[in-house]
Amino acid sequence: MTKRTISRRLLLGALGTGALATGFAAFGEGARGGLAASGSSPHGTGQPHQQPLPPPSGGAHGGHSGAGMVGEVDHDANGFNPTDLLGDFDFGKVSQLANGQTLREYTIVAQNKMIEVAPGIQYPAWTYNGRVPGPTIRCTEGDRVKVTFINGSDHAHSIHFHGFHTAEMDGATPVNPGGTFIYEFDAEPFGLHLYHCHVLPLASHIAKGLYGAFIIDPKAGYVNKADREMVMVMAGFDIDFDGKNEIYCVNTIPFHYDRNPIKIKAGALNRIFLVNILEYDMLNSFHVHANFFHYFPTGTSLTPSELTDTIIQGQGQRGILEFRYKHPGRYLFHAHKTEFAELGWVGQFEVEA
Amino acid sequence: MTQTTPVGSSPVTASRPGPGRTILLFALPILLLAVVIAVFVRTDGAGLSAKPAAPIEALQFERATLKPGTIELHLRNVSPQTVAIAQVIINDSYWAFAATPGPSIPRLGSATIRLDYPWVEGEAYAIRLISSSAIAFDASIAVAAETRAADVRTLLSFTLIGLYVGVIPIVLGMLWLPVLRRMSRRWMVFFTAVTIGLLIFLGIDAASEALELANGLGGAFQGIGIVGIGIVATFMLLQAISQRQASPRGGSATAPDPARTRVSLAFMIAIGIGLHNFGEGLAIGASFAVGAASLGTFLVVGFIIQNITEGLAIVTPIAGDPLRLSDLGLMGLIGGGPAIAGAWIGGLSYSQPLAVLFLSVGAGAVFVVVFQLFRMLQKNNANAPSPLTQFAGVTAGMLILWLTGLLIK
Repeated sequence: MTKRTISRRLLLGALGTGALATGFAAFGEGARGGLAASGSSPHGTGQPHQQPLPPPSGGAHGGHSGAGMVGEVDHDANGFNPTDLLGDFDFGKVSQLANGQTLREYTIVAQNKMIEVAPGIQYPAWTYNGRVPGPTIRCTEGDRVKVTFINGSDHAHSIHFHGFHTAEMDGATPVNPGGTFIYEFDAEPFGLHLYHCHVLPLASHIAKGLYGAFIIDPKAGYVNKADREMVMVMAGFDIDFDGKNEIYCVNTIPFHYDRNPIKIKAGALNRIFLVNILEYDMLNSFHVHANFFHYFPTGTSLTPSELTDTIIQGQGQRGILEFRYKHPGRYLFHAHKTEFAELGWVGQFEVEA
Repeated sequence: MTQTTPVGSSPVTASRPGPGRTILLFALPILLLAVVIAVFVRTDGAGLSAKPAAPIEALQFERATLKPGTIELHLRNVSPQTVAIAQVIINDSYWAFAATPGPSIPRLGSATIRLDYPWVEGEAYAIRLISSSAIAFDASIAVAAETRAADVRTLLSFTLIGLYVGVIPIVLGMLWLPVLRRMSRRWMVFFTAVTIGLLIFLGIDAASEALELANGLGGAFQGIGIVGIGIVATFMLLQAISQRQASPRGGSATAPDPARTRVSLAFMIAIGIGLHNFGEGLAIGASFAVGAASLGTFLVVGFIIQNITEGLAIVTPIAGDPLRLSDLGLMGLIGGGPAIAGAWIGGLSYSQPLAVLFLSVGAGAVFVVVFQLFRMLQKNNANAPSPLTQFAGVTAGMLILWLTGLLIK
């Protein structure tokens, strides 16, 4: 009668997760073809996939045709589309102060919002202005920045900006629901920074979506003029609240730039503002295929620290990348922690001649 | 003082209303119940908000089917509400899937999730299903191996296994019949007691297996309830059948033919053992279906040895009676044949709730036979009960199965 036990163990043994090294499937262009077929259903309303699997793409890539997610996220319902977030810089309401300083005014509202963080999966996010990541605040070195923060949610929140400022403006003090606080400081030093909620428990306040990029451009400008500038905020979502991320992403929606490649021009200079705000994992990384980039850690120097194709960032770390593609075609970029890549942190550039 | 009943309103007529009134009286509590439920629902559950903070979702993984390049997971929704599968992760990688009949699984409904995944034989896979309300369910494939297809060859293999484990050992065990015939009365008591011991052991084993499996069922299935119903209903039904057989209708004054009673008891034992072997067949088939690696030749040999005692159990009550070979053959088939059917079903479409039911039915059938054998033993030996022989026999029977069990465990 033991066989019953054996059979049960084999059949129904729950969670005997023998952690295996996952063979990393190369994300080939053809490999993605099959996925696109399943994802490009016209009714992209987050309705999950009633239809059967896409036909195997066959050929050399046949083995990897199934990787990725099924269905499409309803970006309209979310209120933001990662493709648009790339170049969505908020320069604020600009005016001139009496002393000649430029004043940039922003209003940021904290609000609870259900976000479809992956096709068919609703997540109760905490947001700045209803989007994750929050607005990319962009100003120039020496500007006066004034941020009116309104807490429209049911939990205490704050905004903690990275940069120089006084203790009162540090955002470590919670703003209660319904409360308002005005953060005001001079923008310095130049570089790529970030902002996030600093209310305890910190990890969950950040992981639920209260973060965004904060760019202070150098007064003298960048050495090179970029043809295309993009913000990429690397993050993850612990959707079942077990202290581990189930989803990894840039700009919130996993696999988004994989299914909707970022169109850039061959020979053009691309600048990426790359921020890592991933919680629950120590490190994140960025790797680009068939190319190398100049890396400016924290963006606080105009001289690149290295020419590389892979960098690592810890929590809160960020840096600016500059690169050009010589040849047209599709090129992957992804976390070189391949587990993150297969759990959503992967995208493609589509280089056009 | 004596109470007098008023003329014209005898208690009999007062308690016998017309049929319409009976129906009304019967329906009244139900109508009132409906009102109470309506009030409860309208008042938001007596003021407590009955709405849970997070959806209550539970999925049960019934089995996995592996074919080259594909993995199929068979799921059942055992939660109070519909569960919609939104995404699937296999070994830390999101993977496209197809759900049949659809990703939305109604309460107690089932679905099959197909992944076109290049799995490797012998490796382990952790599969995580994420529902639309962001709840993760984990399943695992401990050792990946191709699932047998339901082709002629496989059915033949399962048939052979069933024959080896069920029919052959029982028929072999029945060959002890000539020996039993030469036994003295005391030895017959002993062997009947051995049979009782064997059956008690099998019954306890089946019941415990059923309970263990039942605990793994989702709450909605009330696995313990299935076990209870299976055991009790089978017991009552078989008992009723045997009583009807023993006392034929018409109320003839002639006492039931004792030889006939013994033959029908032997058949009852065969049925009980058959149901038990069906459960064994289920498990064997299921094991083979997921890759026979764990169930070697050694185990099958162990079962053959253990099950030979079942043949002995069947023929013990009829040891003293004239033989009918056709009866014996039929008993062997009833006792052993279900192992074949069980192997087919277990190997080709295993269902845990059904397995619980079958195991419980088997336990109930075995227990009713134990009950009847005890009665026969006591009736036939009322003059010389020899209780120590009975003790020795029952204990020996249980020990035999325990010891042969060592071969399998």
